This record gives sequence, structure tokens and C-alpha cells, in this order.
Amino acid sequence: MQYKSQAVAKPYFIAAIGLFIGQIVFGLVMGLQYVIGDFLFPMLPFNVARMVHTNLLIVWLLFGFMGAAYYMVPEESETELYSPKLALALFWIFLVAGAATVLGYLFVPYATLAEMTGNDLLATMGREFLEQPLPTKLGIVVVALAFLFNISMTMLKGRKTAISMVLLLGLWGLAIFFLFSFYNPHNLVKDKYYWWWVVHLWVEGVWELILGALLAFVLIKVTGVDREVIEKWLYVIITLTLVTGIIGTGHHYYWIGAPEYWQWWGSIFSALEPIPFFAMTVFAFNMVNRRRREHPNKAAVLWALGTGVMAFLGAGVWGFLHTLAPVNYYTHGSQITAAHGHMAFYGAYVMVVLTLISYAMPILRGRAANSNKAQVVEMWSFWLMTIAMVFITLFLTAAGILQVWLQRVSDTPMGFMATQDQVALFYWMREWAGVAFFIGLILYVISFFIKGESKAIA
Amino acid sequence: MLATSFHTPKPSSRTSPHLAGDLAIWIFILAELGAFAVFFGAYAFTRAKHVADFNTAQLALNRDAGALNTLLLLTASAFVVRAVQGAQMGSGIRDARWMLGAIACGMAFLIVKGGEYSAAFDAGISLSSSIFHMFYLSLTFFHFMHVILGLVILAVLWNGLRLGRYGVNNMNRLESGAAYWHMVDMVWLILFPLIYVIH
Amino acid sequence: MSSTETHSTARRTAALWLLLILATLLTWHLGENQGGGLLTAALLGIALIKGLIVAFDFMALRHAPPLWRILVGGWLLLVCALIGLAFWKGSLT
Repeated sequence: MQYKSQAVAKPYFIAAIGLFIGQIVFGLVMGLQYVIGDFLFPMLPFNVARMVHTNLLIVWLLFGFMGAAYYMVPEESETELYSPKLALALFWIFLVAGAATVLGYLFVPYATLAEMTGNDLLATMGREFLEQPLPTKLGIVVVALAFLFNISMTMLKGRKTAISMVLLLGLWGLAIFFLFSFYNPHNLVKDKYYWWWVVHLWVEGVWELILGALLAFVLIKVTGVDREVIEKWLYVIITLTLVTGIIGTGHHYYWIGAPEYWQWWGSIFSALEPIPFFAMTVFAFNMVNRRRREHPNKAAVLWALGTGVMAFLGAGVWGFLHTLAPVNYYTHGSQITAAHGHMAFYGAYVMVVLTLISYAMPILRGRAANSNKAQVVEMWSFWLMTIAMVFITLFLTAAGILQVWLQRVSDTPMGFMATQDQVALFYWMREWAGVAFFIGLILYVISFFIKGESKAIA
Repeated sequence: MLATSFHTPKPSSRTSPHLAGDLAIWIFILAELGAFAVFFGAYAFTRAKHVADFNTAQLALNRDAGALNTLLLLTASAFVVRAVQGAQMGSGIRDARWMLGAIACGMAFLIVKGGEYSAAFDAGISLSSSIFHMFYLSLTFFHFMHVILGLVILAVLWNGLRLGRYGVNNMNRLESGAAYWHMVDMVWLILFPLIYVIH
Repeated sequence: MSSTETHSTARRTAALWLLLILATLLTWHLGENQGGGLLTAALLGIALIKGLIVAFDFMALRHAPPLWRILVGGWLLLVCALIGLAFWKGSLT
């Protein structure tokens, strides 16, 4: 580790992995509730489990992004962090607020929670992924602003690189678009319209900038390829990302009451959204093939390449599958969406955070890379989780196709619940794939505790 | 191939096949061409279902303005070529004026197009007026944004030329920017007959 | 080896520019006529040739590796062919 203050990244990474485990546990519970409807009812209703599953995902990814930024920015800026104390304080505030929110979801009925937390003052609750009570939302804004202040000040006093600028742009975008979670118009069309400004412009806009910057940073470190070359690719990728991603928002405007031209704009530009992901894959493999050094951390290289491939498959290919308006007319809101959501989140954001953790964590613990034994276990966890996710996606896709057929295309369409019974077999297979994923995750955690001959700092 | 053509080839390697400009910009150009191809295809095949509507609406377009804009873009492109040739011959500083000429033509394009837009908006035409107008406004505006980006790039190149930054050993940036501008021109060469003329 | 091999000469550029201008004026003039299959084909052919001149000469693709000539030249061909196909389809109804 080149700068002492990079150490603040460590608690962020640990918390991220901890919450990741929680997310998967709730995912498994929900997966079971798909087929055994009253499992854990009334203790843990499906809607609560789902809320916890998705909210934990977002929160742990945010922990991961913040940790990554705290690790990366001092090294890129060639200076100590502006305030490591602030970073640590924010860590505890964010963790406690996050935990309190999840406990609120679990132990207080949602309507009561809304009453208790002042939702009648400013109604922001009840929207998918943005279910957080008002104080939590305000807390997120405060933490995000203080975090951005810390990172921006660090960059201002040090070297400014293209990679850190892209990262900063992504992080500022993340904070700014979150503000739309406070805008909750009564008109249902407008409500949805702006809701996507958070949800879509996060994952198909500014988060991709963070993804690109993190990947570029790790690739520079593990391949030794010239910064100039890597930055050039980064520019191309983020430009394509922003143009296709921002206009591609239109693919959410097909059926919500927005003007018809969105069907054209949304179809055309979101059909192009796989291109930046494809460029990212080509970029990652190209840089690794041209590497000028053999970095001892093979696991980190594997995660980096995996991010490229899985992001392209999950976000690119599975997104394209149902993004054209005539197709989406039949598929929207079906299990095909769930299939895409799982693989895209895993392939793009989970994997890039794990890439950074895999690269940075050994260094934060005083070595260039983990022992061979630990790396082998980590690579096993990579394959187990990744293959399990591929199967989750395939089973959900199969369930989705069958669902769309029975429920929407057929001459004698079935009701929603009757259809669900018909696809139960796929839900069972998905649940078993989920168990395999969980085993992979346990293996991942174990890999941190495996000792052995570790490589000295390079 | 990906690996070798990344840097500007040295003059000695100029005889072997090479791309004028950086590989990264060419990947970008391919992505742009892909986007326009999808737009053109969508226009043409949608028109096949509404031939009469499209023909009527198309006749109301200002074909003279479209043709004038084609001339402007072609002239700008030729000027850019002259500026690149100049830098190649070592007279980049003097030949920067060609780049200025190209920028002037590009600006004139924007003015003509702006006039068309204001006439259309005065006539109450919007994205929701008809399927033809949706395509007309979307396609030309998407291209319009490209002309603006192209002009920004040309302005940077003009500045670089003036300061004598480009020469036979340093053509990568100049050629990359020039290739982008030519792409914007080339796309319009299809767009103009497609939307303004063929019926 | 001189730079003239990499980029066209000034004279050549001027000649091609003139050709492109004339082709544009021809397109503009032909637009006055009623539509028809032959006219559509002619207009698309002119557009294709203009595009190829810009791609191969102005963008210097004639000095590029075959892959890139195929990609960009192929793009022009494909787009013109698709448009031609769609207009032919439209003329059937």
C-alpha cells in the first residue's frame, strides 16, 4: 500500500462482503417463497424479503464503490486522503443507518415505518428500490456529499488522472440522480418517469462510469500497460455508455404513458447499449494479452476478465433480448426481466467490486497477493458463483419465456398465479442454482482466512 | 491487429496498410455507423408501411436547404483533407486556415439546419406530429449533434495546427479527428437522399 | 516515399470535391421528378459512390488494412441495399 490513508478502504470492503452474504440469504428465502408460498409467513412476507434483498444489494455495492474510491483515489492522485477520519466516521454512520433501516423493514410493518419516519411530511416511500424511510434517504445524501467532498478535495490537491476524473464523474452522478428519489409526483406517469432517472440512470449511466474507472485502474496495475492506452479506451467506452445509456432510458417509457416516439428512441438506442460493454470486454482481454508484467495476483486478473465477459452477457445480451419495443410489449415485467437483472447486476457491479477487493485486500493486509492456496480457493469461488449465476439466469429465462407464452401470447391466456404454478419446476432449479451460488460465496469468504506462503509486496 | 495498430506508425512503415487515425476512434466510428444504420433501416422499413403519408410529408421539406447543407459538409470535408495534407507536408501552421474554412462551413450547416427547424416548429411540427416527422426530427437532430461534436473536434485540431503540433511524425490526433468529421459527412450523404429526396 | 502516397494530392482532392458537388446537384435536380424504381436506384447509386469517395479517399481507407475497407465499404453497401429493399417493398403495395 503506497499511502497510509488507503487503509480506510478495508472496513468498507469487509462491510460490503458481510452485507453481500445477507443479500444472498434473503435471496434464498425468497427463492423458496416462489415455490412454497407460506414459507416463513407471517414472520417474513415475500415483499419484505424482496425489499431487503434489493436494498442490501444497493447498499453493499455502495460500500464497495466507496471503499474502492478510498483505495484508488490516493494512489491515482499520489497524495494522502484529505481526511481519513471523516472517511471512518462516515463508514460507521452509513453502517448503523443501513442496519437500522433493514431492522425497520424486518420488525415494523412498512406502513407503520412510514408513519414513524415522517413520510407524511415528504412522501418518498413505497417505490421499488427506493423504499428507504425519509431519514435514511437524507442520511444517504449527507454521507454521499461528505464522501464526495473528501474524495474531491483529495483529487484537487494531487495529480488528476483521466481514470480518477471518470470515477469522480460517476460518483457525483450517483449522488445527483439519487436526488430524484425525493421527487414523487402524484401523477403515476410522472412518478414512473422520474423514478427511472434514479434507477436507470444509475445502473445504465453513471454506475457504468464507476465500473469503467475501477476496471481501468485494476488493469493498469495488473498488466503494466501504458496509462495512455488504457485511458484512450476508457474515453471511448464512457462516451458510448453515456450516449446509449441516457437516451436508452426510453426503453422504460414504452408503456407508462410517455409519448410514442420513445418506443423508437428507446428501441434504437438501447439496442446499442451492448456496444460499450462489448468494447469493455475487448479492452480487458486486449490489455491482459499485452501485459508487460506477470502480476502475482492471478485471482484479481480472473475477476477483471470475468467482469468484462459477464457484464457483456448480463447487461448487454440479456438486456438486448427484451429491449426492442415489439418484444418488450410481451415480456415487460416477466421473469425475463428478473433473469436480466440478476446477471447484469452480478456481471457488472458485483464482479467489479469483487475485482477491486480481490486486488486491494491483499495489499491492505500487507502483501502483493495472497498465497497460491488462498488464490486457488478464491478462483474456485469465482467459477462456482459465476456458473451458478449463469444457471440462475438460464432458468429464469426459461421460466420467463414459458410465462410470457402461457400468460400473454397464447390464444387462451392463463392468469398470473396459474402460470406461476406451471413454471414452478424452473423456480426449483433456480433455487438450487442459488444454493450453489451461496456455497461459492462461502468459499470466497473462506479464501480470506487461508494462510500460506504469501507473496511479498512487489 | 488490435495490438499493433494502436500507435501512429512511424513514417517508414507508411507504405504498409494502416488506418489514418487511432484504432480507438475507428472503433468509435464503427459504433456510430451502427447507430445510423439502425436508424436508416428503421426509417426505410417503416416508410414501406406508410408510403403515401411519408411521400406527402417529405414533399413539404425544404429540399434546397438539404442540398445546400450537403454542399457545405462536402466542402468542409475537402478543406479538412487539405489541412491534413498540409500538416503531412510540414506546412501545418500555414494550412491551418483550411481547417478554419471547414469550421466555417460546418457552422453554416448548423445555421441552415437551425432555419429549417425553426420553420418546422413554427408550423407546429413536433416529434408526435406524425411518424415521418418523428423520424425526420430524430434522425436530423441526432446528426445535428454529431456536427456540433465534430466542430468542437475541428476547433481543437485548428488550434493544434496553428501551434504547429502536427507534422509527419505526429499525425495521430489530427487524422483521428479528421476521420470523425468525414464520418459525420459520409452519414449525411446517405441521410440527405433518404429523407429529403427519394420517394 | 512521400506523403502523397498517404494522402491524396491537392489536385486530386479538388477534382473529387468537384465530382461530389456535381453529384449532389444531380441528386437535387433528380428530386424534382416523380418517384419510381429506376430513379430510386439511381439516387441510391449516387449516394453510394459519394460515400465511397469520402470513405476511401478522404478517410484514407484505400491505405487501410482490408478488414477496415470491408467494414466501412460494407456498411455503405449494406445501408444502401437495405434502403433499396425497403423502398422496393414499399412500391409493391
